[in-house]
Amino acid sequence: MVSRAFACLVLASTIAWTGVPAAAERAKAQVVCTPADRKLVYECEIMLMGRKSGAPLEGAKLVVGADMPSMPLAHNVKPVTASPGGKPGMYTATIELEMHGEWALRLDVAGPTRDRLIHKIHFGASKGSSTDQGGRTNQMKK
Amino acid sequence: MDDHLVGVLSNIGMISFIALSAYLLLIVGEISFGQQAFFAISAYASGIATAMWGWDFWPGLAWGTAVAAAAAVLVGIPTLRIRGLYFSIATLAFAEMVRLVFEVFKYQVEIDGEMVGPDGSDGFRDIRYIFENDITAVEYMLMIYGLLAAVLCAFFLLERSRLGSIFRMIGQDPVLAEMQGIDVTAYKILALGLAGLVAGIGGGLYAHLTTFVEPKIFNVMLGVHSLAYGLIGGLGTAFGPLIGVAIDIGFLESIRAISGYRMIAFGGLVAVLLIFRPRGLLDEAAVNWIRLRLRRRHA
Repeated sequence: MVSRAFACLVLASTIAWTGVPAAAERAKAQVVCTPADRKLVYECEIMLMGRKSGAPLEGAKLVVGADMPSMPLAHNVKPVTASPGGKPGMYTATIELEMHGEWALRLDVAGPTRDRLIHKIHFGASKGSSTDQGGRTNQMKK
Repeated sequence: MDDHLVGVLSNIGMISFIALSAYLLLIVGEISFGQQAFFAISAYASGIATAMWGWDFWPGLAWGTAVAAAAAVLVGIPTLRIRGLYFSIATLAFAEMVRLVFEVFKYQVEIDGEMVGPDGSDGFRDIRYIFENDITAVEYMLMIYGLLAAVLCAFFLLERSRLGSIFRMIGQDPVLAEMQGIDVTAYKILALGLAGLVAGIGGGLYAHLTTFVEPKIFNVMLGVHSLAYGLIGGLGTAFGPLIGVAIDIGFLESIRAISGYRMIAFGGLVAVLLIFRPRGLLDEAAVNWIRLRLRRRHA
């Protein structure tokens, strides 16, 4: 019993961690998603830029995933790596949803800065616009 | 390691906390549909501590966990005097109340020219501790599993202690336990407080991994799943709920090819499991059988 308790204490004490602050500028994104030919498949154009400078963020590795907040862990999109688009800071990714509704798009940025951006987008069968009440520029074009 | 695999493993680890939380209450014979409330309270409280007040991660997580445990005790005092189905309904009502409070809860401060904090139904963004402190996804996953191992150790110690025996006794027959001089309500409140604490650890970890929480995440579906993990995995040992989580998330990930029908397939699997193993895969009989085999091997 005592040895088990000691082992637990040792284990718990190894968990402590001290981080090193990162100094890079935060990112922000504008997202526009357009339905593709196949049902529930969307082409998303993501414009990445510096949050303060507004300068396009080039050379970033961008991974796009999505979760359905109303069904946590049950419905999500397997993350895909976005490809660089036609202009600086532009990336494109194709995502395949499981159903229409409100999705939280998860943009994981690595490279010049490391960040995670969340954009809520309503993907609807008939609706032509999307919302992100946080004031971000997101669109779902019909 | 593949980023997606790290994400899936991190999710399994995080959700294991809420599964263990529901399992603890199942041991004392109570079915709670409201463990997501304590998960949510800690997610918001620890997020506020690190993102808004500038606390370090560990004090922030401890704060969120303490608030969740305190909320659980406060809920337990009036609700544990009612039993069975009534208690289950009461926990569900509390969880929905918490979710609706977060739908209107707005508390924001300006940090570096940006408004940060809970913004009602729009949720709480920018809980960025792991990004600001350059903690990688793998490091964070190891932190999750380190904490999970510590909690599992605590569960195994509990199950071999007098307190664990009392919890099991109350779960088997509360009237008989009361006749033995055990204050059943007091022990159930203690169990609910501990369950709130365990759910709180998961909630704090979840908020910092996703960097974003919103009230919808903490709906009844999360509560039902957390309960199902114990029932699928088994009530014989604390490993049971973990097996339940691994089956749920692992199974859902493995059948992505039938994307739209995944939940139907999962529902069918749960139904079949509960028909053939009503107390889960690792029920008390299975655990006793495994222990006996291990003892014989060592003898």
